[in-house]
Amino acid sequence: MRKILLTALAALAISCAGDKTPTKEIRSEDDIAGLRIATLTGSCYDMELSGRDDITLVRFNTETDIINSVAIGAVDACVYDEVVFNADVRKQLGVKIAFHGKDEYPAGFGFRKEDIELRAECDAMLEEMKADGSLDSLCTVWLSDEGVDPSTLTPPLNNGTGEPLRITTGCSIAPISFMVGDTWYGLECELMYRLGQRLNRPVEFKYYDAASYMFSLFGGMSDILTGCLFITPEREETTAFSLPYYYYKPAYFVKDPDAVSAKAGIWTGIKESFRRSLIVEQRWKYITGGLWETLKITLLSILLGSILGCGICACARSRKRGLKKFAHIYNVIVTGIPMLVLLLIMFYVVLVNTGLGATAIAIVAFSIYFAAASGEVFSNSLASVPHAQTEASLALGFTKAQAFFTVVLPQAVRYGLPFYKRQCIELLKATSIVGYLAIQDLTRAGDIIRSRTFDALLPLLIVTVIYFLLAWLIGLALNLAAGKNRSL
Amino acid sequence: MISVRHLSKTYHNPDGSSLQVLKDVNCEIGKGEIISIIGPSGTGKSTFLRALNLLDRPTSGEIIIDGENILRKGYPAHLLRQKMGMVFQSFNLFPHMTVLENISLAPVKLLGMSKADADAQSLELLRTVGLAGKADVYPDSLSGGQKQRVAIARCLAMRPEVILFDEPTSALDPSMTGEVLSVIRQLAQQGMTMLIVTHEMKFARDVSTRIFFMNEGVIWEDGSPEQIFLHPQRSATKAFVQQINKLVFDIAGAEDFDFYGMYSQMKAFCVKYDVAAKADAVVQIAEKMCRDVLEGHYPLTVRLSHAGINDETTLDFMLEGYSSSPLAGVPSGSAALAAVKGLSREIVEELTTRGFRIKIIV
Repeated sequence: MRKILLTALAALAISCAGDKTPTKEIRSEDDIAGLRIATLTGSCYDMELSGRDDITLVRFNTETDIINSVAIGAVDACVYDEVVFNADVRKQLGVKIAFHGKDEYPAGFGFRKEDIELRAECDAMLEEMKADGSLDSLCTVWLSDEGVDPSTLTPPLNNGTGEPLRITTGCSIAPISFMVGDTWYGLECELMYRLGQRLNRPVEFKYYDAASYMFSLFGGMSDILTGCLFITPEREETTAFSLPYYYYKPAYFVKDPDAVSAKAGIWTGIKESFRRSLIVEQRWKYITGGLWETLKITLLSILLGSILGCGICACARSRKRGLKKFAHIYNVIVTGIPMLVLLLIMFYVVLVNTGLGATAIAIVAFSIYFAAASGEVFSNSLASVPHAQTEASLALGFTKAQAFFTVVLPQAVRYGLPFYKRQCIELLKATSIVGYLAIQDLTRAGDIIRSRTFDALLPLLIVTVIYFLLAWLIGLALNLAAGKNRSL
Repeated sequence: MISVRHLSKTYHNPDGSSLQVLKDVNCEIGKGEIISIIGPSGTGKSTFLRALNLLDRPTSGEIIIDGENILRKGYPAHLLRQKMGMVFQSFNLFPHMTVLENISLAPVKLLGMSKADADAQSLELLRTVGLAGKADVYPDSLSGGQKQRVAIARCLAMRPEVILFDEPTSALDPSMTGEVLSVIRQLAQQGMTMLIVTHEMKFARDVSTRIFFMNEGVIWEDGSPEQIFLHPQRSATKAFVQQINKLVFDIAGAEDFDFYGMYSQMKAFCVKYDVAAKADAVVQIAEKMCRDVLEGHYPLTVRLSHAGINDETTLDFMLEGYSSSPLAGVPSGSAALAAVKGLSREIVEELTTRGFRIKIIV
């Protein structure tokens, strides 16, 4: 959620920055001096341009944001693989290629150093394809400047019967590797499908964020790294690379002053944006699928976390010093760790070999977090009920348990409900980071659509509205549940 | 019905210190008795009451109710409490329930009464405490006196055999104590067995069949109201029931004594015990006596006392070792002595074992 807001804010700030087209024509790398240049965080271009003091480098996390920042004039130019922002994209956003970079970058597939056989197979395949020219023709088909018409895509052959071949991709962008529905397409994907067929292994793709990309390979979550992975000497120290399958060329993109503005009116623009974001390729399915993941993680974590929270609360209120201390330390530790770190530790360290899926691990991590949050709410709520209420009930002849459930608990619920509701909504928003575990939740659904449409704002707004509605519904549901409680 | 033997209770504080609140309490309580427990604060009255229904577990001793020692291990305290109601100083109504629900809750959950029967009984009880119109409001909207009457009704709903009242009027505005005391009086007339910890002396005297005067963790004196209030056997009892407060000054000699300080303390004393009107007379008498009438008679002990029970304020002048009245030597035309006589209700001269005392009732 925070990520969404930040991106939305960045987009807003970008749009506020105004429409400053550089007066000077940009023809070479010398011309970009003094300008603001956007690129992808951690990419080769990022590393190379970091050395230049005479430009302002603006780093974004997605290709969508790079090119949109140029389109709206927030930066003067951006640098990225020329094949990604093809003619279609450029026309849609009103940008053009200013010039092509001088260098070429070999891209390959990454392997663990000890997986010698797998890499040899991959190399052998690439060699054969080079020899018979099929690699060249494949590249030509996928990387043409006209782009690939999604309606012409044919489902890949992926019917291997052996162990699944698990692929981590670091980019979700046409034409390298991208999703249509549940299926991955693109140049790299096609190569991987072929490798899978060659080895009689079915291929599975997962998209990982920069934070967990490398770790997915070394942590054993996947077998091959893909995603426009450029082969550099630095990377070769830790990772074994296949032969290069293609040499990517960078291009500098600037706003095209001659572009025919597609502004056929705001309403038509929004309608078109909706159509592209939701209707085309049935992209609304990403939203519903993401919604389901988000709901599953949120609700199960609330449930499990609340049960654990009762335990923490019982410890905190216990007369035994050890238990009290345990509850205190638990709260201090859990609330002291950033949620993302807790999530990654669970995924890569604690639960790494348990065979639990990413969603289950996310539920465990959020339950641990919610146990601390709800446990504190529970014990504060119970402490808000004076001990005299218990005494009055005991004096009437209730047992301790009866006094707790009929007299103390309903009052505690009334006191604690707003705080509990608040924590549930915080949890819902916190789950927006599960994309780091390659879970396609609501936030990630918005990102996937953005990467396909290059539409900067609308998918974010849709996702935001859904989060708002969810938060409201959770509040409503809790009110209803507690409403029943009030009349006992 | 209830017999208590050698009951003691010690509280252990977290800092390691401990406080023995009950030392050795012994008593027998019969059916239908109405016992008021009086005594200075901090002498274990409430603790004794709370020990009887096991809200505070005694440290040692025995409480035998209908032949069974309730302090034995595993004794079902909740069953005892169903028959032994308790009314608290701070009412402790359940704020999340209406008045009616407060009263019906326990009979429905614990006696298995139907909701309809319990509500009918609750309304009947509300009528007897004069609050039938408040059945459906929440306790928050009631005055303190009304809350306490509801608390009594809630307690009665369990049809207890004994009711323990723990300072039922102490948290109330003085204007509201009357309504609560009337309800308790009404119960007394119906023959309910009751133990009442109270500071309302007049009420205790009127309503009780027996009085326990508790002091220093024991039942210091136990007797009929007449015995305790009119003929207390022990001086602590007497001081307490007559509500005597005193202020004592020892004057060794006139030179070094702070008379002005004494006067101002006397004034403050009068204000404190609600006899501010007498403050001027007290100070004038003290001044005339010390500086004039008794001049030169040292050492002199001056004692100012006030008995709340009859509102009597007294100044005593004790001359140690004297065997005859110093007043005898005062010239008959003394203006000071005449003034003292004019300001006082009565002057008593008496010879005591310590010396000669002049007692002036203001």
